[in-house]
Amino acid sequence: MAIDTAPAIGVAPATRPTPRWRNRESLTAWLFILPSLIGFLIFTAGPVVAAGVISLLDWNLFSSPTWAGLHNFARLGPDPTFWSALGNTAYFTLVSVPLTILVSLALALLLNLGLKRITIFRSLLLLPYATITVAVAFVWIWLYIPHDGLVNAVLGWFGVSGPAWLISDSWAMPALILMSVWKSFGFGMVVFLAGLQAIPQQLYEAGRVDGTSPWNSFRHITLPMLSPALFFVVVTSVIGSFQVFDQALIMTNGGPGSRTTTLVMYIYRTGFENYDQGYAAAQSLVLFAFIVVITAGQFLFQRRLVHYDN
Amino acid sequence: MSQLSRRGFLGLGAAAAAGTLAGCSSGPPAGTATWSMWSSSAAEKKVWTDFGNYVEQQLKVRSVATLTPSNGYPTKLDLQLVSGTAGLVTALNGTLIPTYAARGAHRPLDDLIAADPDFDLDDFYPTSRRISSFNDKTYAIGFDVAPTVMYYNKDLLKQQGIALPSKTEPMSWATFRDLARQLTEPGKQYGFTCAPAIDDLVSWIYCAGGNVMSADAGRSTLRDPEAMEALQYVIGLFVTDQVTPPIKNLVTESSLSNFLQGNVAFMQNGPWQVVNVRKAKFDWDIIPFPAGAAGSTPRVSGSSFAIPSGVRDGAQLELAWRLLKTLTSTGALDIYAKAGRNNPARLSAGSAFQPPPDNLGIVQQILAGKLAGGHAFDVTTNWNQVKQLLGQDLPRTFLGQVTVDDAISGLTPRLDILMRQHLDTVRQATARKG
Repeated sequence: MAIDTAPAIGVAPATRPTPRWRNRESLTAWLFILPSLIGFLIFTAGPVVAAGVISLLDWNLFSSPTWAGLHNFARLGPDPTFWSALGNTAYFTLVSVPLTILVSLALALLLNLGLKRITIFRSLLLLPYATITVAVAFVWIWLYIPHDGLVNAVLGWFGVSGPAWLISDSWAMPALILMSVWKSFGFGMVVFLAGLQAIPQQLYEAGRVDGTSPWNSFRHITLPMLSPALFFVVVTSVIGSFQVFDQALIMTNGGPGSRTTTLVMYIYRTGFENYDQGYAAAQSLVLFAFIVVITAGQFLFQRRLVHYDN
Repeated sequence: MSQLSRRGFLGLGAAAAAGTLAGCSSGPPAGTATWSMWSSSAAEKKVWTDFGNYVEQQLKVRSVATLTPSNGYPTKLDLQLVSGTAGLVTALNGTLIPTYAARGAHRPLDDLIAADPDFDLDDFYPTSRRISSFNDKTYAIGFDVAPTVMYYNKDLLKQQGIALPSKTEPMSWATFRDLARQLTEPGKQYGFTCAPAIDDLVSWIYCAGGNVMSADAGRSTLRDPEAMEALQYVIGLFVTDQVTPPIKNLVTESSLSNFLQGNVAFMQNGPWQVVNVRKAKFDWDIIPFPAGAAGSTPRVSGSSFAIPSGVRDGAQLELAWRLLKTLTSTGALDIYAKAGRNNPARLSAGSAFQPPPDNLGIVQQILAGKLAGGHAFDVTTNWNQVKQLLGQDLPRTFLGQVTVDDAISGLTPRLDILMRQHLDTVRQATARKG
């Protein structure tokens, strides 16, 4: 006997599945996500939309704003300070990100060797990252003092006469980069360490059976398996570097000349010291666009280089 | 340990939300005397607490002062003014009064002054009144005002067998440079210290008869011979004569900390540092600023109280005016002066400023025009931008990285643009007023 299992047209099935968003698990998830979502909408998405509106206005904070159209964006082209600040920021990013990653990775590999009493080193190495930038910046100002600072004293032991770091045209930015690498390698180190510890040991054992050298083992097992962590650290470091502000403000105030004036510092000064909110908002949006394009580029590029287990 | 039920969890969430909303309440109730001020130390906080007590005693209303560290004060004030949460009265550094006034952030006070027979504007030093005005209107009432003076280490001069300088007669620039050279032993002892910035340079420029801007503030005059002479002279003390302590970095460079080390003979600074220099472990005093071609006419700086534009009329404005009068009254400024914070802006409060140093009385004499002189700190409505621009390239001349001539040549066209923008802002402010 043939059994017709198809439901009659127009008749609802007796037990229609509850939509995913209405089941208890989803509701609980939404409840937990809600505070963050509200925070994101109010403190991130809201200001981005507001910046978009303000960028179209001529507004000095106190008087009523007037419509400026795209004038604030047109001002960016002939503004040498904007381009110099962008150049400084790009220089900072291009040097500090690879350096930070190299140092982080090297230390993570070292910590992953399983040496005794490694926990104390792990904690010590994470300390710079956990310390607030303002405090670190003031300590580094002291370290960089030309005549009796520790950095030049150490260089002096090797017969090297150190520069006047923070007041030198050519050394001020490298000095900032050095400090930033020291301050931020801890974050990458922790991420890499977690990634290293998640790599299945069987892969290395199989490599050893095949007679793989340590270098090849690093190239063909460690790096591919670590690539998701590497990608995450590269993306977050690039975004963070484009937003560099506090250490430059505290250690050099953008000088000497404008050698260490970063884009965020220029945006802050335009908006809150020069009372040119519209222009500052336009600069912010351009910075936002740069970060979005670079990050999108990284995501496109990662498809070829990042290896995921699944 | 009992588990939290879903109902309990939601209840806690509701309580937290209510608490957050309560924290976002609109501030003190109407009728409270609210005012804002910068404060970066316990000693300063004590003075403002005493001010608050004085206000409550005089006005019989509750005083609520919002105190913010001085480096974050302008930003916080901006946000308070924009969001309408600023106090009835706000403290302002004199260099920012034109900036705020031109943008309509504060209201002119002339109508309130004219309607109040008890308020005597003549009791304020003329330079304080000039600093507190913009576009021929009074926008603020001063609470401190002072000329730049020269501090000197008496012990150091005595050790070198050098006669102490006159307490009242300013020395010439040539004499000052000779003395600074004589007192310098490189790496060990120095003749002079000042900040490598326009705020300190401007006193030398005024003494040479120059200025940062023309009389109508329409163009930069740093290329004029008087200003160039002053710039060459001071930067020469750093680069050519090397009579100053080496610059370690441009952010934390402090003439005060250099001087307090005890190996610097002269320091250019204002009497507002007297309270800090009193910690010095050597004998010291102050003398008038060295005289250039235009005499001893260093910059006179000051701070004032103003009423935000948001305080419009009725009981609120009446309370704001009474609060402003109380905060700048002789009684309040006596508290300020006794604490040794700075020289009060009122003539009638000046006597409360106590020594040491022995020669502190010259501050009042300079302000009253009885001794040497002073020059109100001339600023534009975009002074932050002018200062930023000068702050970029001038310090490099102090380091010998750029010549004075090259730096000023590079700066002048950009300064001229800012001066033209300043004139536009003044015109817009005048039109708005009209």
